[in-house]
Amino acid sequence: MAVFTRTTKNLILNIDEFFDNVELGVLVFREGIKSYLYKNLDDFDRHLQKVDTLESNADKLQRLIENEMITHSILPQHREEVTKLLDEVDEIIDSVKSSLNEIIIEMPEIPDALTNSFLCLAEASANAAEELIPAARAYFKAPYTVREKLLKVYYFESETDKISRDIKKQVFQDMKELDLAHKAHLRYIIQHIENISDLAQTAADLLAAMAIKVVI
Amino acid sequence: MILFFLTSGLFLGWSLGANDASNAFGSAVGSKMVSFRKAAIIASVAVILGAIIQGAGTSQTLGKLGAVNAIGGSFTLALASAITVYMMTKFSLPVSTTQAIVGAIIGWNLFTGNKTDSATLSAIVATWVTGPVLGALFTIPLFMLVIKVKVAAKIHLITFESYIRTGLIIVGAFAAYSLGANNIANVMGVFVPAFNLDDLDLGIITLNSARQLFLLGGMAIAVGIITYSKRVMETVGANIVELNPEAAMVVVLAQSLVLFIFSSSALSSFLAGLGLPRIPLVPVSSSQVIIGCVIGIGLYKGARNINFRLLGEVAIGWIATPLITCILCYLSLFIFKNIFNINVGSKITAVTPESGPISVIAGSETSAIMRYILFGILAGGIILLVFYYLLERKKRLELQKSETKFWKNLK
Repeated sequence: MAVFTRTTKNLILNIDEFFDNVELGVLVFREGIKSYLYKNLDDFDRHLQKVDTLESNADKLQRLIENEMITHSILPQHREEVTKLLDEVDEIIDSVKSSLNEIIIEMPEIPDALTNSFLCLAEASANAAEELIPAARAYFKAPYTVREKLLKVYYFESETDKISRDIKKQVFQDMKELDLAHKAHLRYIIQHIENISDLAQTAADLLAAMAIKVVI
Repeated sequence: MILFFLTSGLFLGWSLGANDASNAFGSAVGSKMVSFRKAAIIASVAVILGAIIQGAGTSQTLGKLGAVNAIGGSFTLALASAITVYMMTKFSLPVSTTQAIVGAIIGWNLFTGNKTDSATLSAIVATWVTGPVLGALFTIPLFMLVIKVKVAAKIHLITFESYIRTGLIIVGAFAAYSLGANNIANVMGVFVPAFNLDDLDLGIITLNSARQLFLLGGMAIAVGIITYSKRVMETVGANIVELNPEAAMVVVLAQSLVLFIFSSSALSSFLAGLGLPRIPLVPVSSSQVIIGCVIGIGLYKGARNINFRLLGEVAIGWIATPLITCILCYLSLFIFKNIFNINVGSKITAVTPESGPISVIAGSETSAIMRYILFGILAGGIILLVFYYLLERKKRLELQKSETKFWKNLK
């Protein structure tokens, strides 16, 4: 029994640590975008390295959690869904890492007029992902509260969509001075940033269904 | 030859283990919270303990219904019950070993011209109805309590699940113990009056004749659990677990409480000491009690969740099972007596329930054989346990090794 309790405690700690990593990753993403927009590339590099470490940690933890759940037959009824949830949440930090990498490789030229809009976009997208984490934690402790926590995720996701649409409209309709390749490149970067909130929404949908199942 | 007569009881015990153990551990195994091997070992040990420690009370009640006074009669009774249980299970009809054995005893009474004690019979039949009802009554407050604790404590899902897992093991063991205590009378009760074995000294405990039979019966149930209950556990378990693990735990707990109440002579005496009516020590059907418990959960969640067809099936079982066994037993007794010329018992002229059987089988030779059988099975059981432990240990070590290798390679 003592061994079993230790396993359970370790597993809970690992799950918490996994969410901590993703949460921090999203936070660093926001700062990273800010650094890039303010042309502070040294800071951006530092943030990129941090995200890299966090993503690698999250991957390891995810594997460890799945492994322990299967080996010790923990949560047999919800294991599949919990594993899927961890997968979806891990996708977010993967996307954060790949977005920052795309930016540093492609070095998109963001017009000064769009700096604030891009900041808002990154903020809203990161917010959606950030709000997902407390809901995911609540699934394990207070599943009754998950759905109300998820409302914020949906709100920020729709905000992100709106901001992204506005920026795209501005780029393609108002900024005649930009050539088409530049516009397409900006759209590509916008989609990358927007993708984080989309992934948060996918995870939120799964989490909502999982919460109902646990509560009933 | 004498011990051959016990085989029908052992067959009945085997089918009881195969079918009814699922009521104790079905939920845990069906939900994959406990491995079948672990469940089978715990259930087997608990059933044997229950049978030896607390099995006497219900056997005495069955003895009052009909004190079978010939080993041929006991054999036929157990055989008729076992065949009925087996056939009804095969055709997926609701069946209870308890009801089968009661029907068989009535059949024996009719054949030998003995009078069936109507007071005992009505006490037994009353418990068939009160068992499931009590089960439902126990389930509702227990379930409410668990839900309240779960919501109020805000326990982590994984911690809660680990509590439920531990709870399912403890409750399952208790249910298996109660099953052994309550239902051993069905398996060996009819043989008790016909056997008079020498006491068996096991060092820590001395087993009298009845307890030796209970030990053998308990072992037969254990063999039924180990060899045949896996599929039943997985099927029945999945049905119960659909409720959710905490409801399943409550259902098993309520069921074992009911079985315990109807087999605890200490509790019965305690109530009598308080001036309250005694609880009749009667074997009740664990399957039917568990149906009552599940209905209790249904009532708590709203009447629309109740499967009324199940209730109907239980009621049919109350009548059909004893009736079929009674007829089958009567016919079998006729055949055994007139064709094989076996003494199946006779009319008891002047006997009180306490005075015991009229003709019994004694003899140090039978006792010695029984001793060897019991020691042999016990030794075999211990060897199997050690083998299982070593197997598990080997698996664990291999897993640890592969884990270490995996993380090393990943780095």
